[in-house]
Amino acid sequence: MAEPPEVSPPQPAPRTYPRFERSQRIEHAVFLTSFTILAVTGLAQKFATAPLGGAILGALGGIETARVIHRITAVIMMAESIYHLLAVLHRTIVRRVALSMLPALEDVKDLLRDLGFYLGLRKIRSRPGRFSYVEKAEYFALVWGTLIMILTGFMMWNPIATANLLPGEAIPAAKSAHGNEALLAVLAIVLWHFYHVHIRHFNRSMFTGVLSRQEMQHEHPAELEAIEAGTQPLPAPPGVIRRRERAFLPGAALLAVALGFGLLRFVTFEQSAITTVPPGEVVDPFVPQTPTPAPTLAPIPTVAGVRPASWRGRFEGLFRDRCGSCHGITAVSGLSLAEYDSALAGGNSGPGIVARDAQASWLVRIQSQGGHPGQLTSDELAEVIDWIEAGAPEQ
Amino acid sequence: MKRTSAALLLGLLGLALAAFRAFAQQEQPGVSNQSCLACHADPNLGMLLQNGEQLSLFIDSEVYAQSVHGQGGYACVQCHTGLRGYPHPSFQAADRRDLSLQLYAACQRCHSGEYQRTLDSAHQQARDRGVLEAAVCTDCHGAHDTRRLTDARSGALLPESRSWIPQTCARCHNAIYEKYLTSVHGAALLEEDNPDVPTCIDCHGVHSIEDPTTAAFRLDSPQLCAGCHTDPERMGKYGISTQVLDTYVADFHGTTVTLFEKQSPDAETNKPVCFDCHGVHDIRRTDDPVKGLQVRENLLARCQVCHPDASSNFPDAWLSHYVPSAERHPLVFAVDTFYKFFIPGVLGGMGVIVALDASWRVRQRLAGRLRPGAGLAETEAAQTPATDSAQPAAVEPAPEESNPDPGDG
Repeated sequence: MAEPPEVSPPQPAPRTYPRFERSQRIEHAVFLTSFTILAVTGLAQKFATAPLGGAILGALGGIETARVIHRITAVIMMAESIYHLLAVLHRTIVRRVALSMLPALEDVKDLLRDLGFYLGLRKIRSRPGRFSYVEKAEYFALVWGTLIMILTGFMMWNPIATANLLPGEAIPAAKSAHGNEALLAVLAIVLWHFYHVHIRHFNRSMFTGVLSRQEMQHEHPAELEAIEAGTQPLPAPPGVIRRRERAFLPGAALLAVALGFGLLRFVTFEQSAITTVPPGEVVDPFVPQTPTPAPTLAPIPTVAGVRPASWRGRFEGLFRDRCGSCHGITAVSGLSLAEYDSALAGGNSGPGIVARDAQASWLVRIQSQGGHPGQLTSDELAEVIDWIEAGAPEQ
Repeated sequence: MKRTSAALLLGLLGLALAAFRAFAQQEQPGVSNQSCLACHADPNLGMLLQNGEQLSLFIDSEVYAQSVHGQGGYACVQCHTGLRGYPHPSFQAADRRDLSLQLYAACQRCHSGEYQRTLDSAHQQARDRGVLEAAVCTDCHGAHDTRRLTDARSGALLPESRSWIPQTCARCHNAIYEKYLTSVHGAALLEEDNPDVPTCIDCHGVHSIEDPTTAAFRLDSPQLCAGCHTDPERMGKYGISTQVLDTYVADFHGTTVTLFEKQSPDAETNKPVCFDCHGVHDIRRTDDPVKGLQVRENLLARCQVCHPDASSNFPDAWLSHYVPSAERHPLVFAVDTFYKFFIPGVLGGMGVIVALDASWRVRQRLAGRLRPGAGLAETEAAQTPATDSAQPAAVEPAPEESNPDPGDG
């Protein structure tokens, strides 16, 4: 480890190694944001009856608002996924970059090497290239998980269309898969991604775009080696790129339109349910039964030839109702108005009714003073006077 | 100790009762029921209402004697306090309804608790809106023929009162009563005198009868049904599942309703509650050929009320209150089961790798071979340069950044 004996060249700025292009970092930011929002709004729905789930939904303005946020965010993530697909195609078809993210047998071997290393069976770790099995596993899980989420999300978003094609039970099955997959994704991110990218060593390349040489040495030694050996394939010259792009763009545009249309249909495919509250029971609440007839007064027996304006036709009843309490059987002051004869006879003051002489009839005299208990109305009194003046007929 | 306090309580109750009796007797000074009946036993006694209708003032002493108040020995004037002495002070009523509304206030003197509760009721709210028909005490309990409904000691509803309740409500709510009679609950009550089925008051309450058309009532209604339908003792007799609430809450519809009920109980949601599918007053057995939801066509028809475009496959999207199992809803069960193993499997595998890597790192750091903040694989060089034939150590040991790489220079 001695200093090189030659004259040291001027110290260059520490070299960095490109890892993620700006567009990829933006993609990561979009995906990270939408994933987080989807996870929070989605898991809160999955665990809605748990205190935390309920609290999150409450803070978001209720479960219906959370659903709207979840769906809008899902559209953003799907749009990002479409962009990602086109970007990958561009990288493969136009730039012909090696598909270094594809899992290969070597990754399994690397995993076994590391396991052997951890268990002390081997002396050295695996030596990953551009992407290690750690990163490939995560990318594969993300792609696979996103496809499952899109598929099951579509089924829940468009249950009627789904049931037209599949058994209805596919919808609750999709709900189960959607929730379970989400749970798996979040837990895997926390365990796998956080450990490898944040805890083990905070890898900032997703934000800076580059790794230092030391980081390359630690995490991608085989790639570093290839770079330094100059065995990395060179990018194609600009002219070639432009030629390939001319062929690529129409197809890509077509694909983008098709996928964009698919996304639009995803959102607007069907009106699953009515937006009003179900009608419930349609019934008139107030439908009274025909009431039991209220007891009616026993009818006054009518006898043939009874005139309306007579004792039997009118005044017997009137006096019973209005005067009967005192001048019935109890005959207060000797007066009973229960019978025609006793009414004529009168009481202690004098004759009650004197035919054709209302002035002489004590009933009229007392009632005319007013204020008598059981006072007749002036109309009733006028009726009585008319009747007396007409001879006070009994019938 | 318990016994003495019970005896004490009984003694106090007896004392209170005796005092009340004495008070009750005191309350009829001079004016005995006989005095009233001297006139009011007359079937022809009546008065003219302002609308021209004759109102009978006849009291059937036999009926009164059978009533709960008659049995208790209460005097006419204890309710009709304004009428002591004769002649009675003038009394005017526009019609029969006006008369009831003037006189029912007498009930609250003894039954103030019940009266206070009616002030919050849908009936009171309706009357406040000017619907004079809305029930007052006497519309349900009668006036001179008031029945005993509860056990005098325990206060529990008498068994014979149960069937009388719907018949009472039917006086005004006859269309609903007719529906109730066809329901599994109503039929069991009125045909079999079944003690387990709800009468009107079990859902709607007594006295403080809530308006059942509000969003709040709707949101709370699953809990109302669950009151009986999650009771294993009651449901066991009929072989009815008690998982109906849990399975409902676990589903999209029930989750929404439950959260609304908790978080915004007065807001409206269009997700269905129990009665949107099972019916309100006409709830049938689920195997009822006409309305039962076990019959596929009936269930589809219910789905289509809210999902007009639903096809015949659609009802299977609802698990019919079953917890998925290999027999019931095998597809859902399969997915559930898959993830039950898949999630721990994947996380377990990841966890093992993470734990191995972390423990190796911790051991390295404890051994002082890892500098804090340094990254991965650093120790390879220090450990074993080029001993593994499968992994030729092509990278020369370069522990320091300051050691410029030849390729860089």
